[in-house]
Amino acid sequence: MSSRFSAMAGPAPARWDYLLVPSFAVSFILLAASQLTFLKGSLYADLGLGSLAANASAGNYATLLTDEFYLNALLLTLKVSALATIFTLLMGFPVAYVIARMRSRWAMLLLAGVVVSSFVTIVIKVYGIIVIFSADGGFNKLMMALGLLDQPYTIIGNQTGVVIGLMQFTLGFGVLLLYSVVRTIPVSLEEAAMVHGAGRARVFWRVILPLSLPGIIVGALMIFNMCMGAFTSASLLGGGRVFTLPVLIQRAVIIETKYGMGAALAAVLLVAVIVINLVSVYLVKRLSAARLVIA
Amino acid sequence: MNPNNAPLAPPASRVARWRRPSVGAIAKYAWVTWAYLFLLAPMVVVLGSSLDGTTAYSGVVFPPQELTLKWYRQIPASHYNALGLSLVLGLSVAIGACLLGIPAALGVVRGKLPGKSMFLAFFRAPMQIPAVVTGVAFLKLYYAFGDATGLYLNATFAGLYLGHLFVATPYVIGTVVSVLQRFNLRLEEAAMSMGASRWSTFRRVTLPTIMPGVHAGALYAFMVSFSDVPIAMFLTAPGFLTYPVELFFGIETDFNPSVLASASLVILFSLGLLLLVQRVIGLDTVVHSRS
Repeated sequence: MSSRFSAMAGPAPARWDYLLVPSFAVSFILLAASQLTFLKGSLYADLGLGSLAANASAGNYATLLTDEFYLNALLLTLKVSALATIFTLLMGFPVAYVIARMRSRWAMLLLAGVVVSSFVTIVIKVYGIIVIFSADGGFNKLMMALGLLDQPYTIIGNQTGVVIGLMQFTLGFGVLLLYSVVRTIPVSLEEAAMVHGAGRARVFWRVILPLSLPGIIVGALMIFNMCMGAFTSASLLGGGRVFTLPVLIQRAVIIETKYGMGAALAAVLLVAVIVINLVSVYLVKRLSAARLVIA
Repeated sequence: MNPNNAPLAPPASRVARWRRPSVGAIAKYAWVTWAYLFLLAPMVVVLGSSLDGTTAYSGVVFPPQELTLKWYRQIPASHYNALGLSLVLGLSVAIGACLLGIPAALGVVRGKLPGKSMFLAFFRAPMQIPAVVTGVAFLKLYYAFGDATGLYLNATFAGLYLGHLFVATPYVIGTVVSVLQRFNLRLEEAAMSMGASRWSTFRRVTLPTIMPGVHAGALYAFMVSFSDVPIAMFLTAPGFLTYPVELFFGIETDFNPSVLASASLVILFSLGLLLLVQRVIGLDTVVHSRS
């Protein structure tokens, strides 16, 4: 009885905080243990056949930072990831916008297409890309029949192929992300702007884009991070000629069993991603603060 | 949407014109069609060429010239084994991610601890680490752990499970947090003032309300595990491969149409799963509870 009355007076403070403990402990142990061991491992030179030097040194990093090959790999990884992110946003935003503003049952069907694409593993989609762009595949047959190409064009083994592969990996996910961003903008704002005489282009630049910009930036960073960590597209569509950092890491660890070098490469990739994320977050904060001052 | 379509006209007529298909609208739908072609063509091609009877081992034909199911009968046993491993792994990762993620989300949103956004950022960290780095990091961890204790977790189910749990849990936390933030606390207060115990309030009021977020998070967790290559690549070994990794090696070593047939089965499985999701919890629930 007494507990009932105390509940009526307002529920006794439940200690929800305790619920955090097990999850936090597991996540913290996995995060700290895995990151620390691999960062420590990156300090040991490889002696061949998977064995590592007994003493720690900065030798792996000295090799990485002086060898142009690795520097170019880092730049190439940044380049293809940035291109794939930009093209994913350019291609995905109109699609997300159209679905979000659709009022018919078609919206569900279009959404289903996007979800299926983001569910199916990228390796299967890479098989499809290889078939489409093979010398006697659909793309080249169509282009030659239309007279747009006189000899088969291939994307296998060059950066175009890698960017297309990365976009296959991120586009479905990107559309879902941008869809939820557009859904947060009330249609009434667009209608109000139009009633007051704004053209569609003006509505886009002055209403839709500014309101969805924070969401687009968050989405862009997630897509960029996905690209930076992916090696399937670069490995299978690069045809052994496009060496991004993830490809080099996979080769170093799986094929050459150079665990020290692989870990050092992974550390460079991790630091690059963290720096880019922090700088972007900082710039966005500065940007929105500046806008507040102007307004 | 279309910057080229901004003729000057009086406002009233502009509102009327807005509903009529214009050059801008046509360009918009052409763009969407092109995006869908890009998005779905690879899967359609895989499905189509798996049915082609003229396909030789050297080349793949699309569209199919002569329909056959013979490649489906030739799917190697290793693919079924890998598929079985991926399904069991994905399901157990989804369950584990819920067991870890739901309490974490409740603790972050309901708890009185300072620095909630710090906790959220911490729980999101695995999503920001490049997948290939996570793979290498767990491999190194298992070697170090094995050297210290004699128990090597690389190429074991437990090792693979922990790696996937690490990256999948943030999805459940994200979706449940976003549902909880919209949750009306008064519902719980009402239940308790009617005499419900704290546990039965949780089971009868809180849990049903956050269920859409749980479903969505579990689905994402399953798909993250089921489609992952960069992490599983480092934590598996020949004879113990997940389906995407098996397929990854298959592309280089034994590319033949039976691989396309097994890939088609996975595409059909994904479609079936999607239909099930749409029936049971609704696709919009899944998409909306993404944080």
